[in-house]
Amino acid sequence: MPKRTDKTILVTMLILIAFGFIMIYSASAVISYKKYGDSFFFLKKQLIWGLLGMIAFMAAHSLDYRTWQRYVIPVFALSCLMLILVLTPLFGPAVNGSRRWLRLGIISFQPSEITKLAVIIYLAGYLARKGDGIRDFFHGFVPPMILIGIIMGLIIIEPDLGSVVTIGLVAGTLLLIGGARLSHMSLVVLLSAPIVYRFVMQVGYRRQRWETFLNPWMDPAGSGFQIVQSFMAFGSGGLLGSGLGEGRQKLFFLPYPHTDFIFAIIGEEMGLLGVFSIILLYLLLALKGCTIAIKTEDLFGSYLAFGITMMITIQVLINICVATGLLPTKGLALPFLSYGGSSLLTNMLGMGMLSSIAKDGRGR
Amino acid sequence: MLSRRKDKKRRLKIKIYLIMFLLIIGFTGVFMRLFNLHVVKNQALASRAEKQHQKTIILEGERGTILDRNGKILAANLDVPSMYASPVSVKDQAAASKKISLATGTEYNILKNKMKSGKKSGKNFVWLKRRIDPAKVEEVKGLGIEGIGLIMESQRFYPKGNLLSNVLGFAGLDNNGLEGLELRYDKYLRGDKRWQVLEKDALGKTIFPKDRKYTTPQRGKDIALTIDEVIQYISERELDLALERTSAKSGSIIVMDPRNGEILAMAVRPTFDPNHTDSYQPSDLRNRAITDPYEPGSTLKTLVASAAIEEGLVTPDELIYCENGSFNIGGRVLHDHEKHGLLPFKDVIKVSSNIGTAKVGMRLGEERLYKYIRAFGLGEKTDIDLSGESIGIVREPGSWTVKSLPSISIGQEVAATPIQLITAVAAIANGGWLMRPHLVDEIRDQEGNIVFKSAPEVIRRVVSFDTAREMIKILTRVTERGGTGEKAVISGYSVAGKTGTAQKKAAGSRGYSAEYFVSSFIGFVPSQDPRLIILVVIDEPEGVSWGGSIAAPVFKNVAEEILNYLAIPQENREGILMVSRENGQPGSINEIR
Repeated sequence: MPKRTDKTILVTMLILIAFGFIMIYSASAVISYKKYGDSFFFLKKQLIWGLLGMIAFMAAHSLDYRTWQRYVIPVFALSCLMLILVLTPLFGPAVNGSRRWLRLGIISFQPSEITKLAVIIYLAGYLARKGDGIRDFFHGFVPPMILIGIIMGLIIIEPDLGSVVTIGLVAGTLLLIGGARLSHMSLVVLLSAPIVYRFVMQVGYRRQRWETFLNPWMDPAGSGFQIVQSFMAFGSGGLLGSGLGEGRQKLFFLPYPHTDFIFAIIGEEMGLLGVFSIILLYLLLALKGCTIAIKTEDLFGSYLAFGITMMITIQVLINICVATGLLPTKGLALPFLSYGGSSLLTNMLGMGMLSSIAKDGRGR
Repeated sequence: MLSRRKDKKRRLKIKIYLIMFLLIIGFTGVFMRLFNLHVVKNQALASRAEKQHQKTIILEGERGTILDRNGKILAANLDVPSMYASPVSVKDQAAASKKISLATGTEYNILKNKMKSGKKSGKNFVWLKRRIDPAKVEEVKGLGIEGIGLIMESQRFYPKGNLLSNVLGFAGLDNNGLEGLELRYDKYLRGDKRWQVLEKDALGKTIFPKDRKYTTPQRGKDIALTIDEVIQYISERELDLALERTSAKSGSIIVMDPRNGEILAMAVRPTFDPNHTDSYQPSDLRNRAITDPYEPGSTLKTLVASAAIEEGLVTPDELIYCENGSFNIGGRVLHDHEKHGLLPFKDVIKVSSNIGTAKVGMRLGEERLYKYIRAFGLGEKTDIDLSGESIGIVREPGSWTVKSLPSISIGQEVAATPIQLITAVAAIANGGWLMRPHLVDEIRDQEGNIVFKSAPEVIRRVVSFDTAREMIKILTRVTERGGTGEKAVISGYSVAGKTGTAQKKAAGSRGYSAEYFVSSFIGFVPSQDPRLIILVVIDEPEGVSWGGSIAAPVFKNVAEEILNYLAIPQENREGILMVSRENGQPGSINEIR
């Protein structure tokens, strides 16, 4: 039975994106002018990606989401291909020591972003197909573990730890609600613990980030600089903020003000009221997504809706926790708000799918 | 099978609900953390941020240049060094102050106190002396005192000294406009804020200005005026000479193009040098041409006569009895300077008979006289592009006494600023249009793009073209033999004008002073196709104070030189150009029929 289109997702998303445009301009105008001689440089790029994202949203919204299940294998294969290509010097130039961007002519794209969505589609389809078969260790649980493990491995070589953590958490929660045995999952966690330790503690800068996280004030002018600057941005915002465009932390002090740390700039310029409003919008989106997952009769739709919701929500929580010092620093965009085209496009595409599930996911 | 599926769905729902619950807890936790940062730790973090921000100083970007209509620079910027200290880094404040004092001539105590109070409040940065003599730069550098440094700042400079200063105004230490055009157009002239970071070195002691990272070097916009530097100079020079000759206390000269309202010169005395503003009284800084209303006296008769002709209440040739110099009207005895009997109305104006004009004013009546005075722009701002304009005084007929009608007819009981009066009479000169006076011609950004371009602006039509023509003929008689403005005559041109000699209100009484006058002359030339309208106002000249003897010669000197400078062709006195622009826009002289 066709349901009346629910506008909650679209409206909430658009409010966040519009707010993002304003904050990206505010946070990047000075840097942008300095670097490119045009204070609108980043804003313009983001506006174009927003437009592409809107097209992706509309397309995914009107497309029957079950179609995606049929194309799981090509989508997944394409993602892997891009993840491999990005590691080659030809297509993936190193930026700040990492190869995250796939350069195709004039546009550059982060394959790890769209891979998040690919993993979710794959896993949703697998879980829906297997049903209780997932409880079988070798025939149900292990195959997706291997595939996802490979993907995560590719991404960690880039390296893009934020995306790896997101994929791991999203996949984990999906498996959990999909009926995987807790004992199997605990085993994976136990087995991967030494690997995680190796990746964190053996890589100098990650180790330092971890230590900084435990005590950021130990070296506020050195390793603790970024997080301490972020604290100061929030703290000087107070209840109502210093006013749009009036923040000073973005000028010299807080690195990545328009990408990873845009939330701190919002805190400085819009105050507690501003960040609280943003959090409420994200919570609304999360609860709405979960409700869609519950109401959908079709298992694939249910898992897909849940996975997409978790993809957004987990990134939101991680980004905010990093900015507020509740988690150690890792580069991760704040969905819809941060500057970054791949992230915006992927998230809007995901929202389009969610909207499509809400529209006709009541089963046949 | 179906029930198993249902059971699975039920378990799925429970798990999702559980996760939703966890998400709410997670978001609440995040919110609590934010509350902690924003509210609980607000003070500590904000003051820490503030302290670090002290390491950045804001410098105003370079101000735009002000130019005259021919591109001559009237106000510009120079880079001048300023000296600062990082008080916490200066080891021996007394010794440092002494050395600096010797090198720069700045007072020892001032330096010492600045460093002392800076150190007390833990400041990283204090200005010691802004804008020091560039010649001292090497000396200060040579001192090599730790914690003392120089930063280049830009300083406003007025190369022409007090030329046009009352109009230009001036900018303050932080390059902010404080008076005049500098204030009015501050948002255009001002450059973007420039941020400069001062960084501690590894030892955390000295502060160095980093090279200008993250600065926005956008300059302010340039403003081109309608003012002509040469005409301004001529006007100021003649005004100075006149004030010296008459020992008057203040005065002003405005030169305007009546066709489009462009101000060509605006000379005001007393004046000041905007490069050294501290040595002047506030009264020297005022632009009296727009701020100070005065009773215009007989110059107002031009407006009364125009109104009466426009309303068909009098013709130029109608004979009016001037009562042989003394006439009781509205309970007040009016006197004329010279006794007259019957005079045609055009001669009433020529000899400036108070009695004759008042009689015509009575014909107009209160309401119509008031309506016309207001229509000519008195009692309202001309909206010239300067700040601080006065609206003058024009009372409404309801509050007039029985004496008011004759008094206002001869220019008493009303007050107008020089700019209001010249704008009003320009409406006669240009064929009936009241034009908005303006002195900014163009605003350009640094790439030379025109941001603003002025255009002639009509406020309203006040009188018909025919009335204006009649008035021009009448006013031309004023400068002919026997008129009050004989001394304004310029050989080769016909001048239309009107003298004014207004008694000033006696201080502390309701009557008029017999001692203090405002002498003025308003005239335009060439009378048949006016290119210039000039108002000369001399406040409180000593001795003979007739407008015809004090102000008219000043008009002549100014006008003659400007006509020559602008190379305005002389007229053939016999066959004067007859130009019709009855229905045309002001300023169009192409409709010769």
